[in-house]
This record gives sequence, structure tokens and C-alpha cells, in this order.
Amino acid sequence: MKAVGARLPRYDGTAHVTGRTVFVDDVRVPGTLWAKALRSPVHHADITGLDTSKAEAMKGVHAVITHADVPLLEYGHLSALGIPADEPLLAKEGVRYKGQPIALVAAEDEETAMEAVAAIEVEFAEKPALFDIRLALDPDAPTVHHWGNIYPHFEGPMDRRQIRKGDIDWAFDHADLIVEGVYRPAAIEHCPLETQVCQVVPEADGRLTIYTCSQALYFSMGVVASHLQVPLNKLKLVGGTVGGGFGGKVDTASETMTALLAMKAARPVKWRWTREEEFLCSTTRAAWHMEIADAVTSDGWILGRKMLTLHDSGAYARFSPYGVTKHSFHHTGAYTIPNLSFDGYVVFTNRTPSTAMRGFGVTSVSFAVETHMNRIAELLDMDPFEIRLKNANRIGDTSPNGVVYTDPSTVQTIHVMAEEVGHELPADYRTMTRGPRDGELLPEHLLAQVGDPEAH
Amino acid sequence: MTGGVLDVVIPTTPEEAVAAFGEGDGITVLAGGTIVMPQITYGRLKPDRVLMLGRSGLDKITREGGTVTIGAAVPVSALEELDEPLATASRHVGADREIRAQATVGGNLCSGPGAETPRGDLQAPLIVLGARVRSTGKGGERTDSVEDFLAGGAAGRLVLDVAYDEVDRKTAYHAVWRPHTHHYSILAVAATKTGDELRIAATGAGPYGVRLTSVEQSGSPEDALKDVDPQDDALASAWYRSTVLPKLVARALDELA
Amino acid sequence: MKLNVNGIEREIDSPLLTPLLFVLREELGITSPKAGCQQGGCGACTVLIEGEPRRSCLVPVAAVNGAGVTTLEGIGTAEHLAPIQQAFVHHYGMQCGFCTPGILLAAHAYIEGGGGDDKRAISEALAGHVCRCTGYVKILAAVSAAARGDSFDLTMTTGTPTTTFVAGVTE
Repeated sequence: MKAVGARLPRYDGTAHVTGRTVFVDDVRVPGTLWAKALRSPVHHADITGLDTSKAEAMKGVHAVITHADVPLLEYGHLSALGIPADEPLLAKEGVRYKGQPIALVAAEDEETAMEAVAAIEVEFAEKPALFDIRLALDPDAPTVHHWGNIYPHFEGPMDRRQIRKGDIDWAFDHADLIVEGVYRPAAIEHCPLETQVCQVVPEADGRLTIYTCSQALYFSMGVVASHLQVPLNKLKLVGGTVGGGFGGKVDTASETMTALLAMKAARPVKWRWTREEEFLCSTTRAAWHMEIADAVTSDGWILGRKMLTLHDSGAYARFSPYGVTKHSFHHTGAYTIPNLSFDGYVVFTNRTPSTAMRGFGVTSVSFAVETHMNRIAELLDMDPFEIRLKNANRIGDTSPNGVVYTDPSTVQTIHVMAEEVGHELPADYRTMTRGPRDGELLPEHLLAQVGDPEAH
Repeated sequence: MTGGVLDVVIPTTPEEAVAAFGEGDGITVLAGGTIVMPQITYGRLKPDRVLMLGRSGLDKITREGGTVTIGAAVPVSALEELDEPLATASRHVGADREIRAQATVGGNLCSGPGAETPRGDLQAPLIVLGARVRSTGKGGERTDSVEDFLAGGAAGRLVLDVAYDEVDRKTAYHAVWRPHTHHYSILAVAATKTGDELRIAATGAGPYGVRLTSVEQSGSPEDALKDVDPQDDALASAWYRSTVLPKLVARALDELA
Repeated sequence: MKLNVNGIEREIDSPLLTPLLFVLREELGITSPKAGCQQGGCGACTVLIEGEPRRSCLVPVAAVNGAGVTTLEGIGTAEHLAPIQQAFVHHYGMQCGFCTPGILLAAHAYIEGGGGDDKRAISEALAGHVCRCTGYVKILAAVSAAARGDSFDLTMTTGTPTTTFVAGVTE
């Protein structure tokens, strides 16, 4: 075990500091064409006309692709998790977000590619747009998705991720105080320093080599193969160093379209997004709207939690149902609450589709849960460390979705935090452990949620 | 990338630059390039003829007879040694020293309104220093006060230099910057008092720097709103600028009192 | 026109207004300076022009006719890392590495220009450089260390294992 406790230089450190690390844009293949995209300038519209002939005829243009060139236009990236396909690789009937790709061009150089994009004629019939998830169910709200404004395909099928545990009415009847809060973290742009970039090389044996900035090579390989309707062994994905991804490079946002251009042009093609495309058109972390109402006792027990979550999926589903599912499992955070009523909705708007970003689905609820704990402490005039220790997950407690905790670290973590900031805890809180609840830490209302940590 | 450009002129003397500029028709001036190059890169500007000032000899700072003359191609970083409030303002142009070493005084005067960031941080300090802009273009050479030059529009003019007098004056400069090293000025007020004469100007409260003549007359900070035309942009809203501007004016006036 | 790049004189064929960044990357195949934003906003394209850090995406190549340009490849190699490069390896001053060329050159110029171990001054010198991965703390530590003249042991330093994972197995 030489490596444990050792100080190891980064394996890529020398390459980074000598400027030799190869990112996708550093790959040089002779004869590579430049790709540029025609993107929707409007938020929500039907496409009533699309004519690429002028672009195709332009000198230096080798290929133009639209939806018609895509063997399987809609493929659900997480169909293995039950999320059906809803998004065309290239827009066909209409556009649902500003920046949505409609066509792509491969040309001899970047200037020609930009001119060719400008020469594509597209007509729109604009429709009203929806940007605020809270308005999605208003009678006069525009409908932005063919499934309606709420994702309807959770198992059941249901239009929400729902968790019910214990008896929420009992909890609210027995509370000394109901503590409410609304939490609305905004969307966040990943802003990796390396923008989305892809280079595809058609090989002599008919395969495609795809240099990609994807964070998830095998995942992207499956997506590309599905859209192109080719066997996996036709593709060779080459990844390597990603210039920052943070979850924003898992959407397979460029590979398939670049591959189609390379196949059509029979030439290598590179597509590198500009910083403006990265800011305006790439996926972001979602915006969320969370409402929490906790039934609490005056001595600091949280008897029950009602929670409503609206997640802004943007124009398409992508991974949002998966994010909301994870979010739901963590809606009590590091604390044990026996009576729960959670409803989480994936809401469609005309915003840029949202995607994963570090802690996908969970950072939102952590923020809400922790802020809410402070609110409870303030209203009960209780120490914020103590109220956390009292309600902390312990061995044998169960999560919202019924998983028995075998190894929760809440108690130790809070102890260390108190020590680090010099916060004195009273003796009975200082000596708390994460061991199974008993005595004063096991009031009657927590009995029913206790599970057997040995049984797997 | 810019293969479409037909003609790049690189004069080696100010006279050559003036001759090449002529009346300014169909010619794009490129000094530091910090504003023009991104526009070309993103395809928003497709010049037919570019006049590059880097070697034109317009990059000198001279002092003579109590007047400081700053050539149009002087980099912003060179202003750190000059009088206040120019020195402080120059340190906050473009967020970092690499940009300041490449950006020029002329470019800052001719920057025009930007949708992404308010530009022209040097304009208010130069106005309150009573600076004069010497430019050429249609109608030949002309000298204007900075505020008149800006109001008249920089289009069609080639700035040659800007000059101000070294006199005893009190100065003040108050600005709103983002609280970290990579920052842009959102809003700034510059002021000088020379004897009894008050001069006060603002940048970031409109498409270009303006003299706050209403405040100069009344001494009341709220009157600043009569002279400005704040815009929404990526950094701050018009509402924010309108709300904060009188406070910056008040601070400047207090400092000069 | 001509450029002296990392000590080698090169003839340049690119059109006069081509940003220096693309002359280096596309014409000369020197790929360490990166196209992070192409607007001068991120610092990933910074190179040294006559020893001074400049945004190569903003410099039309005609403006540097005859000048000496230094890129990261020019200040040290894997066999002979410059002190600033060693400092970054030792202090983990990078993660994905995309901002590293620009930051290293700006740091190198700062130290060559007499900059010292002063976090505020280092922050100002690097103000134009965005890093999305590291949070800057280790970058500042690395530059401070190099400014101080620290020496670095870049070999793997074995430590005493703190946890025994499998009973009976010892090193």
C-alpha cells in the first residue's frame, strides 16, 4: 500500500505545465473541415420553411445537414432509466428554445462556414413562450412540450416523483409550530474553460473516430450509435483530457451532429463552440423552486415534512426526471424525519434544457434543507448545531425512500464542524454518537421508521 | 480567419496615418485591438480596409509648457503615472493588466456603447481634467473638448491625441467595481475642483461619458439624473445605475469640499 | 512577415489580421495557448510578447511583425522544468490544465519582473485569468512558492500507510 498516505505528483502534471496536454481542439488531422450551426434565434416557434440550397451551393461548403439526415432523429439518452425520447437531434417541426440547433454546415474554413449558415433560409411562426415554472399550470400558460408542461412518465405512470412515508397528517396535528420556507436557486452555467468541441474522422475501414470532450465516453458512444443506427463497433471514441466539464459535457451535444457531417462530407470535421454558444446555448444546472413546510415540536423534533419541488427542465427532458428522483431521495438531507409527503415535478419551459452539474439534483435540496434547519433553529430559539445533532441520521434510521442507514456520518461531521469553528456544545450533545437511537433520542414518533441495518 | 480583408495599412508616422485615414470612409481603425478584434473574430465586423496604428508614432506622452499630451495609441497602462483621476481610472479599465497594456487611450475614447460592458472608463476623468481631443477626418483637423467630441460621435474621426493642463486641482473618483480582481467598472464619477471651478462627469450612466452640468450648477447630487441616460446591460440595470449615481456624486462632492 | 517563436525564427503566411492565437495554433502547430473565449475575457490564450503577457486572441499578427513570442513550450520541458512549472506540479496548481498555459506565462512574467511572495500582488498579476476547476488557492500557493525561490522534490514521496485494509498484508 505504498500509495496510501503518499504524496503523488499528478500523472498529467508535467504535460499540463509544459503545455503538451492534448485537448480535442489540439488534435490535428489534415483536411479537417470547420462546422458551424444554424441556431434558433427565437424562443418558441413552428418552422414553416427551411431551405439549405444556397448554403449547399456555396463555394467551399462540403456538407449541410438537417433533421432529414438523421437516421433516428429522437433518441432518449436515458431510455434505459425509463425516460422516453422527446428531443430531435436537429429541429424539425419547431423550436422550443433560443439556440436550438436547426442545421449544420461543414466548410473549408470558419468564415465560409459562418457565411453558409447565414445563407440558410428558415421561416418561423412564433408562439408565446414560457419561462417561469410557477406559471406552467396556469390556464393561460403556453404549452411548450408535446407531453404538456409537466413530464408525465414517472413510473405508474405518474406526473411527479412522489414519496409518502408514515402519517403526515398526524405530524401536522401534533406540531407545536409549522415552519415554512421557499427556496429558489437559479440556473448556473458550467462555464468550462474549454468549450464544447468534437472532431470526427472517417476512417478507411468505414469506422468513425470521434475525438470528444465528453465526460462519459461509453455513454456518448451509445447515444451516437443509436442516432446513427450503427453498431457500436463502428465507432471509436477518443477522449482524454476534458477542459472542465462539471456535468455539462454529458449531453453528447456535439458528437452526433459532427459525425453526420463527417459522413456526408467524407472528410474529417471539427466543431468547436464559441464562448457565446457555450454561454447562451449549452445546457445549465437547472433552476429549482422548492417549498418546505415542517411540523416541529418546541423541543426541536421535526415530526414531518411536506415538500413541493418544481424543477426547470427547460425545453426537453434530458436527464431531469433522474435528477428529480435523486433529489427526492435526499429531501430530508442528513436528518431523520419519519412522516413525509414529497411531490417533485419536472416542468418544461422555453429555457435552454438543463442538465447535470456537480451533485445533480441534490445540491438544490441540500441548500434548501440546511437553510430550512437554520430557520427552524431560529424560530425555536435553539442552537443550530444542537437541532442538527438531535435529528441527525443514525444507524438504523431510514431514508425517505426506505433505505436503512448503516453508516451515516452526520453526527461526527457536525462534531468536527463545531470544533473547527470553536462552538461549544453542551455535554449531552458532545457525547452523542451515530449509534442506533435509544432512550431520549428514540421518542415514540421515530419508532416506526427504524429499520434493521443488518438486513440487506 | 480574416482572409476577407482586402487592405491593411500600417503607417509609420502620424502624417501617414492622417493621410491614410482621409475622411474616414470605409476604414476601420485598429489601435490596441481589444474591441475590434473580437468583433472581427465573431463575424460582426467585416472591414474592407483596416488602419493599424501600432507603429504610427502616435504612442508618445509629452509634457510641454504645462500641458500633458497623450498620443492616441498610448496604452492605458501608461496612464498610471499621470494625474488623478486619470491614474486611478486607468487601473480599472478592462479588468486586468494584460488588457490595459494593449488597450489604447484613443480606443477608449472611441469605444462606443457596448451591450456587454460599459466602456470608455477614461472619458469622465478626461472630461474633468478639461482635456481636449485633437482629431482628423472630414473637414480636416479639429480640436474639441472631450465631452463635445463624445457627443458629436467618434465615427469618422481619427483621434490623434488628447491633452490637458497640469494645474493645481483637487480630484475625486468614485466607482462601483465588482469585488474581485477580474472586474469591470459598472459606474464611475470623476470630479475636479480648480479654484472655484467644479467639473464633474460620469461613465456607465449612458452610451458614453457625460459631463454632469446640472450638478455643476446646482451642487445637488440628485440633479445628476437630468444629465444621463442609463442603460440596461450585462453588468447592471438602468435602475441600479440611476439609484447609485447620485450617491457616487455625493461622495465626490464631499471629497472635494 | 516574421515571428521569433520560442527562439526560432518563423516565416508567417497567415493573413495580416489573423489573431496571433490562430497563427500559433493553426499555422505553426503550437497548441499550448487555448481558444477559451476569443474575446480577451479568460486569459487562456495569453502568450509572452517580448516577455510581456498579452492576449494572443486580441493581437493581430501584423502588430507583432518581427517580435519575440514565448509560449509555454518555450519556458521549460519535461526534462528541464522551469521553477514556476515545478512549483505548479508540486502544489497541484492545476486540474484540467486548460487555463494553465496562460496562467503559467503570466506568473512567469510576474516573477521575472521582480514580483514577490505577495498574494495581493500575485492576484492582480493573474487578474485576467479565469480558472473554473481549482478555486485559485493552489495556484496562488504555487506562484508564491516560486516567487520565494522554493525548491521542489517532484518524486513520489512514500508515506506510512494510515489504514490497514487487509489483515496480514504489510509492505
